[in-house]
Amino acid sequence: MTTGTVQDGVHVSDLHKTFFAGTVQEKQALNGVSFSLSPGEFAVVVGSNGAGKSTTLNAIAGELSVDSGSVLVDGDDLTRLPAHKRARYMSRVFQDPMQGTAASLTIEENLAISARRGQPRGFRSALRAVDVETFRTALEALGLGLENRMKDRVALLSGGQRQSLTLAMATLKRPRLLLLDEHTAALDPRAAELVIDATLKTVAGGEITTLMITHNMDHAIRHGDRLLMMHEGRVILDLDKHDKQGVTAADLVERFHDAVSDRMLLN
Amino acid sequence: MEFLTVYMNLLPASLAQGAVYAFVALGVMIPFRLLNLPDLTAEGSFPLGAAVAAALISSGWGIVPAMAWALLAGSLAGALTALIHLVFKVTSLLAGIIVLTMLFSLNIRVMGQPNTALFSHDTLFTVLLDADGGTPITQFAVLCVLLTVLCAALFWYLHTEAGLALRAVGANQMMARAQGLSTWRYVIAGLAVAGALAATGGAVMAQLQSYADVNMGVGVLMIGLAATILGEALFGSHTIARQILAPVLGALVYFQIVAVALSLGLRPSDLKLLTGLFVLLALAVPMVKARFRRAPSPSKSEPRP
Ligand SMILES: Nc1ncnc2c1ncn2[C@@H]1O[C@H](COP(=O)(O)OP(=O)(O)OP(=O)(O)O)[C@@H](O)[C@H]1O
Ligand SMILES: [Mg+2]
Repeated sequence: MTTGTVQDGVHVSDLHKTFFAGTVQEKQALNGVSFSLSPGEFAVVVGSNGAGKSTTLNAIAGELSVDSGSVLVDGDDLTRLPAHKRARYMSRVFQDPMQGTAASLTIEENLAISARRGQPRGFRSALRAVDVETFRTALEALGLGLENRMKDRVALLSGGQRQSLTLAMATLKRPRLLLLDEHTAALDPRAAELVIDATLKTVAGGEITTLMITHNMDHAIRHGDRLLMMHEGRVILDLDKHDKQGVTAADLVERFHDAVSDRMLLN
Repeated sequence: MEFLTVYMNLLPASLAQGAVYAFVALGVMIPFRLLNLPDLTAEGSFPLGAAVAAALISSGWGIVPAMAWALLAGSLAGALTALIHLVFKVTSLLAGIIVLTMLFSLNIRVMGQPNTALFSHDTLFTVLLDADGGTPITQFAVLCVLLTVLCAALFWYLHTEAGLALRAVGANQMMARAQGLSTWRYVIAGLAVAGALAATGGAVMAQLQSYADVNMGVGVLMIGLAATILGEALFGSHTIARQILAPVLGALVYFQIVAVALSLGLRPSDLKLLTGLFVLLALAVPMVKARFRRAPSPSKSEPRP
């Protein structure tokens, strides 16, 4: 891999999206979202409800088409690619534990699907012995004992186990960008801690460029190399690792109010 | 014991019939169970397969190419339903109705008339068995061989990377896309395979009865669905092998039930009512069960681990 070129990493430029344009329900969800992540950077996104965080992630993943703006990963323009073609570059863990896995398939079958993310599927056997060993190792790393249940249907797993599995699936084949949308929000506190720990284990170490949305200010301050704050479809605050030092939740709330009132003055 | 003698007389023919409808049942199982996409195209692709096979055989084509074209036509019909559903965002049910309605006219065009007789032509059964096309029992044996090959092929396919991808698309489209699967590709492929199976059933039926008729598709979807539900209830559906065997065995059992009903004095014209009631019952039972289970024990909400 070449490093150091300007193109490397993730470049999100000036995303605009308006839902129901031209109707009474018109809603401007993205109003010029721009940011860049350098390779390996772990960015945490915070912001109030309806700020456009999920919409940004969906736009990056291609689940949603934007009105304008562009998404580049390592110099490749993904803006016009459908979601399934962007899977070559990125993987994601959803807020809803049901969304990231196929409930009627077994744990190993789910992992087999993700082992070939972004590659063509042929008529080879889907579950080969070598792969199954890789799956076992990935599951062992989660520490939930799932490696002993590889032939169980995912429907039998708890929400926390499903999220952990989704995380394992998202990182089994290393993505160039990992998208996490409040992936612990639907879990009870204990399961949420487990999944966050697993996330940090996989993501920290600077291997995987990551964009994580959270409502947990504590997580946002403690973890990650970057903190992005969104409001009304824009990034209103962007703190790098250095800026983040010593910031408290109260500071963030204050910065949020400052940023909002600044914007109100400007408008 | 007049009932028993009547039933024993019906038994061989009902086995052969069940085996033909097993093709359709497989073609119904794929969209309903593997893709979770209810699809009615079988009502049109079954007679389409019959019409294509009959038209070709009656104009002197060999049996193998005739059946190959029938299969291809059926897969195109399935793919068309998929495309209408995907491109125009029409529900799969409506997309199937559109296609099967159009196929009615097309099937008459294919045959040049509403029906085609094959009595003076060689068929699968006259070639493999005897000049009369064999007896119901030998016909059943031939069909069992065909079905075994088909089930084995389907079993193999569903365990390949592509087959697993198709099942993932059926289980969770959001997850499938996030894992790089084109949901379009697999929905089209799945409905094409389903159409091919239903059309093959039609082509076999036309040769079994030496006759193709544009109306022979009426009600086949419900038969396929009833067979699938029955098979799943009797043999389960928790593994791929069972999910494949359920519609096949279900179709065989279903036609035994039909034979029993007929020997008890029911008219053939009553059968569609019976099939409908059966499917309705099968759909209602789980709901009623759930209601009963929920009512007496309001304290069963345990926290999940
Ligand atoms: N598919 C959609 N159709 C219409 N409006 C939408 C759609 N998705 C999002 N919106 C609107 O766009 C705005 C931004 O929503 P988004 O889900 O991105 O917010 P969020 O920052 O993720 O909020 P939360 O913290 O509540 O998850 C909201 O006003 C929302 O109602
Ligand atoms: Mg959100």
